[in-house]
Order: sequence, then C-alpha cells, then structure tokens
Amino acid sequence: MMSIKAFTLVSAVERELLMGDKERVNIECVECCGRDLYVGTNDCFVYHFLLEERPVPAGPATFTATKQLQRHLGFKKPVNELRAASALNRLLVLCDNSISLVNMLNLEPVPSGARIKGAATFALNENPVSGDPFCVEVCIISVKRRTIQMFLVYEDRVQIVKEVSTAEQPLAVAVDGHFLCLALTTQYIIHNYSTGVSQDLFPYCSEERPPIVKRIGRQEFLLAGPGGLGMFATVAGISQRAPVHWSENVIGAAVSFPYVIALDDEFITVHSMLDQQQKQTLPFKEGHILQDFEGRVIVATSKGVYILVPLPLEKQIQDLLASRRVEEALVLAKGARRNIPKEKFQVMYRRILQQAGFIQFAQLQFLEAKELFRSGQLDVRELISLYPFLLPTSSSFTRSHPPLHEYADLNQLTQGDQEKMAKCKCFLMSYLNEVRSTEVANGYKEDIDTALLKLYAEADHDSLLDLLVTENFCLLTDSAAWLEKHKKYFALGLLYHYNNQDAAAVQLWVNIVNGDVQDSTRSDLYEYIVDFLTYCLDEELVWAYADWVLQKSEEVGVQVFTKRPLDEQQKNSFNPDDIINCLKKYPKALVKYLEHLVIDKRLQKEEYHTHLAVLYLEEVLQQRASASGKGAEATETQAKLRRLLQKSDLYRVHFLLERLQGAGLPMESAILHGKLGEHEKALHILVHELQDFAAAEDYCLWCSEGRDPPHRQHLFHTLLAIYLRAGPAAHELAVAAVDLLNRHATEFDAAQVLQMLPDTWSVQLLCPFLMGAMRDSIHARRTMQVALGLARSENLIYTYDKMKLKGSSIRLSDKKLCQICQNPFCEPVFVRYPNGGLVHTHCAVSRHTNPSSSSPGTRT
Amino acid sequence: MRKPDSKIVLLGDMNVGKTSLLQRYMERRFPDTVSTVGGAFYLKQWRSYNISIWDTAGREQFHGLGSMYCRGAAAIILTYDVNHRQSLVELEDRFLGLTDTASKDCLFAIVGNKVDLTEEGALVGQEKEECSPNMEAEDCVSPRAPKQVHLEDAVALYKKILKYKMLDEQDVPAAEQMCFETSAKTGYNVDLLFETLFDLVVPMILQQRAERPSHTVDISSHKPPKRTRSGCCA
Ligand SMILES: Nc1nc2c(ncn2[C@@H]2O[C@H](COP(=O)(O)OP(=O)(O)O)[C@@H](O)[C@H]2O)c(=O)[nH]1
Ligand SMILES: [Mg+2]
Repeated sequence: MMSIKAFTLVSAVERELLMGDKERVNIECVECCGRDLYVGTNDCFVYHFLLEERPVPAGPATFTATKQLQRHLGFKKPVNELRAASALNRLLVLCDNSISLVNMLNLEPVPSGARIKGAATFALNENPVSGDPFCVEVCIISVKRRTIQMFLVYEDRVQIVKEVSTAEQPLAVAVDGHFLCLALTTQYIIHNYSTGVSQDLFPYCSEERPPIVKRIGRQEFLLAGPGGLGMFATVAGISQRAPVHWSENVIGAAVSFPYVIALDDEFITVHSMLDQQQKQTLPFKEGHILQDFEGRVIVATSKGVYILVPLPLEKQIQDLLASRRVEEALVLAKGARRNIPKEKFQVMYRRILQQAGFIQFAQLQFLEAKELFRSGQLDVRELISLYPFLLPTSSSFTRSHPPLHEYADLNQLTQGDQEKMAKCKCFLMSYLNEVRSTEVANGYKEDIDTALLKLYAEADHDSLLDLLVTENFCLLTDSAAWLEKHKKYFALGLLYHYNNQDAAAVQLWVNIVNGDVQDSTRSDLYEYIVDFLTYCLDEELVWAYADWVLQKSEEVGVQVFTKRPLDEQQKNSFNPDDIINCLKKYPKALVKYLEHLVIDKRLQKEEYHTHLAVLYLEEVLQQRASASGKGAEATETQAKLRRLLQKSDLYRVHFLLERLQGAGLPMESAILHGKLGEHEKALHILVHELQDFAAAEDYCLWCSEGRDPPHRQHLFHTLLAIYLRAGPAAHELAVAAVDLLNRHATEFDAAQVLQMLPDTWSVQLLCPFLMGAMRDSIHARRTMQVALGLARSENLIYTYDKMKLKGSSIRLSDKKLCQICQNPFCEPVFVRYPNGGLVHTHCAVSRHTNPSSSSPGTRT
Repeated sequence: MRKPDSKIVLLGDMNVGKTSLLQRYMERRFPDTVSTVGGAFYLKQWRSYNISIWDTAGREQFHGLGSMYCRGAAAIILTYDVNHRQSLVELEDRFLGLTDTASKDCLFAIVGNKVDLTEEGALVGQEKEECSPNMEAEDCVSPRAPKQVHLEDAVALYKKILKYKMLDEQDVPAAEQMCFETSAKTGYNVDLLFETLFDLVVPMILQQRAERPSHTVDISSHKPPKRTRSGCCA
C-alpha cells in the first residue's frame, strides 16, 4: 500500500525529566490542556510540565517541556487517570478507586476534600447537558457491579445525579449529551440515561481484547470491533462511516481529522476516514497510551511522552500530487473543506485541481485533465505556455508561482516523442476551441485565438479558415509571421482582411494566382478575388485590380462591376461612364456591362441603349464578314440585337438606320421603321423583301403591345391591305391574307374587311374568319344586354329603398334627443339615418358617420 | 459530509459477489475484489436524494456487525450465488436474523449472482463478455454448469421472509419484481436491480420526511386565502 507522511513523531518529555534513573517508575496516564501537560506515574506522583512548541521552518515543530511541579498524592497506588477541567481550574485524578480534585496550578487537593469514591474508570461529558459553565459532567464505572454513575463536579464539591445499572459489567465508557457509549463484557451498547433506552451496537469479546470506546465528535464514537476493525457508531446506533482496518491487537485510538490513529505493541498506524485506507505506519515499541487532546495527539510508553505532529494538509496534498496520486490528493483536499476557512480553502482547492489537471495531462489523460482544468478554473495561458511559441510575443503572461507543474515545456514533458506531442497539440486545439467562446477566455481572448491560429496553421487544419472568417481576436503581427512561416498565404489574406487591410489581402491573393507564391488552399482563388472585389466597399481597390481581373477573364472579371450589391450601387459611388471608359479595352466585358445597365438595371439613358445596339450590330456584322458558316452564333447576337431594338424605345433610330444601310439586315430595318411609326414600310419589307409572313404577323403583335385596340386593328388592316394589294395573281399573298384573317378574326373590323375582299373568295374559304367575327359580334351584343339588365335592376333597388324611407311619418317631440349631442330638438328640422336614428342637422354635418352603427347611412 | 437520506444494505455469504455488484454499478467495471473487511459504503445520488449503499463482509468473523449496519435500512439486498445452493440456505439461516433492526417497512430484494457461469446465463450475457477466453478457463473451474439455484427458489424464500416479517403480500412489491438474477461480471441486470430499489426507496424518504416534525417553514406551499366573491364581477 502506498503511504503518505501525515504525522511526525517528536519527543516531548524525556525520561530523565520524570524519573531520572529510577527503573521502576512508569508513566500511567497523561493529560494535556493547552500548554499544560500532566503526567501520572505508578509511584503516585503527578507531574506538571509546560509545553513549548517551536516551529521549524522546514519540518515538524519541536517541543520542549519544562517541569513546573511534581506532587505525591500520598498513597502507595498508581495514578490511573488524569483529566483537566480548566473552567474550574481543577485536575481530576483517579487513584485508588477514588477521583479527587486538585488545583491545576499548585496540584494541591481542594480544601473541602470533595471526591468521588468507588470509581473504576471515568469519562467527561464533552457535550454537557446541564448548561452550567461552572461544573463538569463526569460519568464513572463504579466498583459496584454493573453500575454506572453520573456526577456533577463543581470547584470544590461533587453531586451524584444518576445511577444506571447495566445488564453486564461495563468495561469502558464515553459520553455525549445524554448518551453513554458503553463497552459491556460481550457487546457495545448505546444507552440514553435520560430515557433509559439501550440499543445494542455489536458483540465483541472482552476476553480476547480490551475494548476501546472513544468519542470522536458530536454524537459519534469510535469502537474497537471484531477482526481489527475500527467501527464508527452514532448515538442513533448506526454507522455513517465505513470502518477502518487496524491491527488485531490495538491498544489505543485517537482521531486527528481526517485520520484515525491506532496504537499497538509495535506500531502507530494512520488510517484515513475518507477512503478507509491505511496511510502511514510508524514503528513505535512498547507504547501504551494514545490520546488526542483538542487536536494534539500524544503517545507514551511507560518511560517517555511523544507528540504526533501532523503535517499541514497542504503539504500532505502536495506530497500526494508529487507522487501523482491525484485521486487521494483530491479526496484529502475535499475532506479538508470544513477545517479550513472558506476563502482560503477555495484558493487552495482550485490550485490543487489545476495541479492535478497537469498531472493527468502529462499522462495524456486528456478527458480527466480537461475536467480538472475546468473545475479548477485554470488560466488557459498556463496550458498554452507549455507549448513553445504559441503565446504571442506581446502577451504579459507569466506562469503562476509556485509553479503548477514541473515541466518547462512540451518537449520536456513528452521527451521529444513526436506522437505524444501531436496528441497534446490535438488536445489543446479542441480545448481552446471549446473555451474560446466561454467566460474562461475573458481577458485573454487574444492569447487564446492567436495560439489556436498557430496550432491550426501548423497542423494544416481546416478550421483555420473558419477561425479567420468569424469573429476572432488573433493578434496581427504574431499571426501574420506564423502564417507566412507556414506558407498559409490565403489564410494570411483573410487575416489582413479581418484587420481591415484589404489591399494587402488582395495583393497577396493576386500573387498566389500569378504564381509568385505557392498556396493551394483554393483552386478557385481567381473567382474568389473577383467575388471579394465585387463586395468590396473600397472603390480604389476595385479600380486598382480592375485591369488585372479583366485581363484574366473579361466575362468573369466584369462581375466586379455588374454584380455589386444593390444598396451600395444606390450610393452611386461607381460612375457608369468611368466604367465604360475603363472597359473600352475589353469589348466582351463592355457588352456585358451595357447589358447589365440596359437590361438588368433598366437604365433609361439613350447613350447606353444606342451604344449597346451599335455593339451588337458591329458584332453581327463582324460575324457575318468573318464566316458565313457559324450561323448559330450569328443568330444569338442577332436575336439579342432584335430584342433590344424591339423592346427599347430609347436608342437613336435614325443613327442606327444609317448604320444598317446596305448591311442586308431587313428584319432589323423593319423593326427600326416600326419604331419610327412607318408601319407600312416596315411591313412592306417583311412581306416583300423577306417574304416572312409569320414575322409580319408577329410584327403586328409586338408593335401593338401595350397600345389601344384600334392601333392593333390598324396594323392588321395595313398588313391585310398589303397582302390584298398585290391582286389575285400573287397567289402566295392571297393565301397569307386568308390565313391572317382566319387566325386573327377578332383583330379585324369584319364589316370593313368584307368590303376589301375580292368577290371571288368563297364563304368556305373564310369560314373560320366569318365564324369568329360572328361570334365576336354576338358575344359583344349579349354582354351589352346583360350589362343593361343589371343596371336596370340596380336602379330598381334604389327606387325601392327610396320609397320605403319616405313611406312612414316620424314624430318629433321635445322628449326626443339627438343621438349625437343628446340635446332635445328645438326646431322641426332634423336628419334621419336609415336605421331610424334622429340627429340635429348641425350634428350630422359635423359628424358624417352614423351614430350607432358603423356603416355610414344615407340621410333622408 | 453529505448526510444520506436513506440506506440500502447488501447482505450475503462471502464470495457471492456483493462487492463486485456494487463496484459494477458504481464504477461500471468488474475489477478483482479483495475480501471485504468489516464493511464499506458508497453514496449514490439518485434524483435529489443521497442514498448510502453498504457493502458488508460475509465472513463469520464480522457477523456481529450486521445488525448495526442494517439498523434503519430502507432496503436490504440478500445476495446468493446461483451456483451454490448453500449460499441461499445461509441467507435464511444466518442473515435474515440480522435484518430485525431494519426500518419496519424495509424492502427485501433477493439476488442470485454469477448467472454468467451457468449454461443459460452464458447466453444472456454473451455480448457484454469482457474477459478473454483463457482468463475464463482460469476463473471458472467448471464453466457452464447447470444452475444450482433457480429463480423459483428465490421466490419461495421471498415469501418466507414475508411470513417471517408478518407482512401481507398485498402491501409489498411482488416477488417477481424483487427477485433478480444478475452477473456482476457482465453487468447483466445490475442496473435494473439497484435502480428498481432506488425508485422504491424514494417514496419512503418522502414519507419519512412528512412524518418527521419539520424544522423549516416551507414558504413555497403557502396558499393564499380564498377570495370572497365581491358583488360587481360575480
Ligand atoms: N463469474 C463471476 N464471478 C463473480 C461475479 N461476481 C463476483 N465474482 C467473483 O467472485 C469472487 C467474490 O466476489 P466478491 O465481490 O468479493 O464477493 P463478496 O465476498 O460477496 O463481496 C471474486 O473473485 C469475483 O471476481 C459474477 O457475477 N460472475
Ligand atoms: Mg465483499
């Protein structure tokens, strides 16, 4: 069993002081009261010593005893027992079955000669019930068989208060309040002498072993049990602590919290009440007395007196920690809680938890370590400082003193074992990550985040980026140097950005893309930069890198202008003309930008629309010139051009028409003519030049979009006229005319059309048109009829209402009150609401609402 | 030290596995135990109550301590070894008498431990088995023997105890609920055993508290006086 040094044995009274060289003189009993030490001998002497304690800086205190007095009691019997009653200034001396009272200072017997006769042994009640400070309660085992007696002892008199007879002969007694704890011949019992109730505790055998009954605190006793057990029992007769296991032949026992101390012929053993374990063994031969006096533990042989000096608990705990016995140290520390002032205890206990944490940490017991660090409220920097270079150079931290552990740094702790080192780092990462957002981090967030950044960077951990893009307190200079060292340039850029150094950030990233420095964190870094600039509020920075991004890719690069978030654009910080100017060198980008202005943002500015149209046109022309094969692409741009020409009303039509001259783009020309209102011309081009009847029909539709029906009708009639004008010889046009009529019957004024049509066309040919026209006409008529009917009936309802309201007469008397002002009517004029409410005319004027119903009514 | 609110005591012959059962429950492991000297106890926090669980020594030498340990106990776990009929007999002969000091409404549980060593128990605890095959051979001389004591025997003992205590079967938990077969080694039924008892003990604590004169005033249970109906809003 691992031991601990809890006590040191020091000598208090040397044998020379007592008996010189008289061989036969033996120590019989000892009493200690403060600094007064009394010793009784077998030759009927009582000695009085003064104990002087001298602390020794490193080590247990030493004691010297100076003899004050010695007195012979006048018998030929040994002094059996001594007890001090300091409140009475009396020493109770048991000698020759009689307890006499002597003065504590001069050892003279009291003049009254008061004594208790017939006592075999006695005990003081340390939890007295009388409440009189000038008396002590004494319990004796009488020489009379099976008898216990209770006495009150005053300065110079004694008074018997109770006699109790027991079932068996009592051998030892201890008292607490009304409770006697007795060792009878075959068992221990608790006896309440006030109620007379006894309770058996447990049997033992007095023939094998003399009993021990010792009060150890309020209402609790320690007893020598069978099989070398120190048993605890309360006055209620139950055990609240597990027994300690001492030796089979113990003679005496004492308590010095949290230890039980036992004495046998050869050893003094120390047992913890907290975990039942034996903690210390001191060889001690021929001891026969072991007693504690107000916390002071004294042992004696028949020749000398010794003191067991406890080591301070803190020292014991430190010793345990030093031998890595964390559990025991914590149990001991917790057990000490009630013996140490609260404030002091908390400081001490926290420190112990922290130390224990480092011990577990050093054994790579990270879970346990974490819990100890947490409950010990460790300053995280203590932990960080174990890892070389993690704390920022600017940190003001110094390790606590005395140190919490013995390690200079992690290298020493792991003895260079790389695997262990990696585990430790991994632990710190998770630990810091856990605490950084808790109150543990308050006050040193910079140190924590900087350390975390360093760990992440070194380990190539993904969380590095998460750390940098969320709220953090990484110190710039320290972190920057570290990231650079580990070639984390992208992350370094993020750090710059977080510290409002966007220019530095972008420059660094551009260097990565250009291949000037290596960092493969992001394969899409170029897009990332574009995105970054898009959302960047720093206009100058955007301009500075505009050329760079555009050179890389016009289509992507232009996004820095086209995708800017809306709210910023409203501030109009970027002037479109500046941008257009800049984009001159990048035609594709320019087109995209103008599209953005015209189509997405719907800027109503002639220049942009014209510019975009011209650019489209140029491209179309260029495409036509370069290759006639690439038809598909040509139509795409062309489609865009057409759409723009159709949708926009802002571009300069004449200017574009001029550009179109001779370009062979009839469709576009037609659109432009249409824009000028020259529909005849436009349709002519479509019908005759292009012979695209579908386009012509389409023209009528888009050109009249959003305009009134007559305008649309006019366009369709114009087209029909063009078709018909060619005469029956132009067969195709005739068919187109028929189709047009049949398909868009409702767009025409049928009566007009019928007059235009050649007489030769059959009804059958125009059947769909005619039916459509008829249906339309009938539909219009019926709709009108319905509307007419509804209007009539509405009128009828109103007429009925009016009749009803006029029908009955209304009586007005001075008893009737106006519903608004509650005054009577003084004139025969009034206003009546449809629900019957009557009010003054002036009231009704001032308040147009119905007084009692929410719906406004009509006045009558 | 926290004052326990209630006490549970483990009784039974030495070597039946009392200490092992407690360690399995409290520390979730099955270490080598040393023969218990005198007694030991654990404090278990169950909901808001502290329950002390006493492990006693089965050795004859410490027999005299049993009564004291049982004094005021709310529940007693009588433990035997399913592979040793004698250990069940001992419960009645030697240990039942110790329980006279227990509280008058004390609960009894009868626990047959080491079922892992029986043929049927081998199947039950297989997946949790944690010792290696060679350790096993050393541990159990005749592994997988047929069970010596059956659950019905325990049930019979339980009913005998009720008679002995002059308790009515109606007033106490049923035998089926209070007879367990466990294995401290595999953990089989161990949590069930302790937690069944805790749940039964808690109402007893509450009842005790209610019966004992209270020294504190419970301000939370103050009932406001009933309002008398006043005319207007009645
Ligand atoms: N196979 C097996 N062995 C057990 C079980 N419980 C206890 N043991 C063993 O039985 C022996 C006695 O156990 P212990 O707990 O000290 O018994 P106690 O005297 O009642 O406290 C020890 O060697 C244990 O390892 C069990 O459930 N299965
Ligand atoms: Mg045991």
